[in-house]
Amino acid sequence: MAGVHIERLHKEFHSTGSSAVHALDDLTLDIADGEFISLVGPSGCGKSTALRIIAGLETPTSGRILFDGRDITALEPRDRNIAMVFQSYALYPHMSVRQNLEYGLKKRGVPSAERARAVASIAAMLQIEPMLDRRPRQLSGGQRQRVALGRALIRDPEVFLLDEPLSNLDAKLRVHMRAELGALHQKLKTTMIYVTHDQLEAMTLSDRIVVMNHGVMQQVGTPEEIYSRPANRFVAEFIGTPSMNMIEGEISTEGDTAHFAAPGLHLKLPKAPAFRGRATLGIRPEDIALVEPEAPGAILAQVTVSELAGAERYHFVTMGASPVILRTPATTMLRPGESIALALNPQHLHLFAGVGEDAAAMR
Amino acid sequence: MLRALRIYSAVMLLLIIVAFPLYWMALTSFKPQTEVFRTPPTFLPETWTLRHYAELFWLTDFGLLFLNSLKVCLLSTGLALIVGSLGAYALARFRVPGKESYGRLVLIAYMFPGALLIIPLMLLFRQLGLTNSHLGLSLAYLTFSVPFVMWVMRDFFASVPVDLEEAALIDGATRLGALWDVVLPQAVPGLIATGIFAFLFAWNEYLFALILISDEGLRTLPPGMMRFVSTTDTNWGLIMAASTLATLPMAIAFGLVQRYLVTGLGAGGVKG
Repeated sequence: MAGVHIERLHKEFHSTGSSAVHALDDLTLDIADGEFISLVGPSGCGKSTALRIIAGLETPTSGRILFDGRDITALEPRDRNIAMVFQSYALYPHMSVRQNLEYGLKKRGVPSAERARAVASIAAMLQIEPMLDRRPRQLSGGQRQRVALGRALIRDPEVFLLDEPLSNLDAKLRVHMRAELGALHQKLKTTMIYVTHDQLEAMTLSDRIVVMNHGVMQQVGTPEEIYSRPANRFVAEFIGTPSMNMIEGEISTEGDTAHFAAPGLHLKLPKAPAFRGRATLGIRPEDIALVEPEAPGAILAQVTVSELAGAERYHFVTMGASPVILRTPATTMLRPGESIALALNPQHLHLFAGVGEDAAAMR
Repeated sequence: MLRALRIYSAVMLLLIIVAFPLYWMALTSFKPQTEVFRTPPTFLPETWTLRHYAELFWLTDFGLLFLNSLKVCLLSTGLALIVGSLGAYALARFRVPGKESYGRLVLIAYMFPGALLIIPLMLLFRQLGLTNSHLGLSLAYLTFSVPFVMWVMRDFFASVPVDLEEAALIDGATRLGALWDVVLPQAVPGLIATGIFAFLFAWNEYLFALILISDEGLRTLPPGMMRFVSTTDTNWGLIMAASTLATLPMAIAFGLVQRYLVTGLGAGGVKG
């Protein structure tokens, strides 16, 4: 087990004739020994590149990586004592499950008796004993996933890398494997670096989350921090389903009180931010409440459509001129076209300086 | 139904056209000398004889020619597979400047007529002391088989998921180790197909073998068999017996590996 220190990592790809693409821009990150950290972001955000550089499968343009203070930037993948689970599982198709599991040990010269013991204990832990003599193509998706995990676990690596390991599973199995993975980390306490585009996986599994976009780290923090105090508009919109409502408008002040104004919407802000001018107001669907039209500060809105999502219901409404989603219990019924009154929870308003996705949050 | 009938009859016709010379070759080898040129021809020998086969082994050096050919072909096929596969792997995987144009150049090399190569090759080989040597002849055959192996294997390697190799690298393999343990087993059908082709090319090759080898004891089958044809008399029964025996190894080889040429081994390891 090891702590990982990533220092000013930079990666450019050059394709012939065009300018360089910055896949990763100045990433600095400290990962504690035994921590479960997720890199999350849309495709092309640099999360996989970062993971592949940590694995040694890509060379960084500049920057260093240290495991417990040892600089491993120049080492071959085989000399790093890491294990990786691939999105495609990457099981060797011509080998049995047993051979797949012990391949890494064999390459490291572990004697066969010891290998057999290791295979037996991993197979027992992951409940894949009956499949040891089968080929990967004879296994179901979930079983392949387990074998891939087993192949990584068997070597007792210092750092465990997972590249979207659950994204090829169907929804039900994914939830199940997610829980297993969480339990596994609880038990093993190995440093795990997990890449995913699924913010829900990141939220449920991680000690900390790194949100990335366009090769740049946007925010790093615990799931709670990322969810309740997003650093900028991109993070706010990326984390959470349905995503945070964004209303673009203007912040102005009148004496001591500040106002946020958007077409058809005028809102008194609970505390005056230092910022004036074009801004974005963010509010999560669960922080909007249905109120009586006479209530102080009530905002009138019109229902467009309502969707039932099991225990809750999402209502798409137009508030002023802005489309907004609110989340209510499934029992709350609203008819399309109905006029309603809404109140925004003043404690959970997010204000961003500007209207672009990199607009920073105001505290 | 009618469509199937039409297709089958077309295939049958094609089969007859292709197979008849082979049938005639085998048949003639079992006919006595007197029956070979009879008009009208006999489609099955009236008298079956193994005389030509006996003569082939007792009176000519067919056995030696056969062994020489086998040696040269195995050597050149082995070298072609090793060199060609490594080259193809590099073309498929590494970011090399000018890779695409090199890939095309390889194809052009393959299309180059052998007759144009033989003189410079002869001069070069004489300086290197590679004339009259089985190694030299095998190397000469690489001018055709390596481009072919590279061309075909490149696609095979490109179709093997990179993930498999990277998994092996992380599991502790070296680049070559990953190639050997993980990539090559996925490319077995390609290796067999190109291997057979390289072998076949070398087995049938006449011009290089005639010019680069002058020592009678080192001759291979195609130029060796030509000596059975003389200006005054040609023993067709003997030639047909030799041809039949020379065709046999290839026919057997094709039969054995047919299924590898059709089925891919790679399915199932990645995704599902």
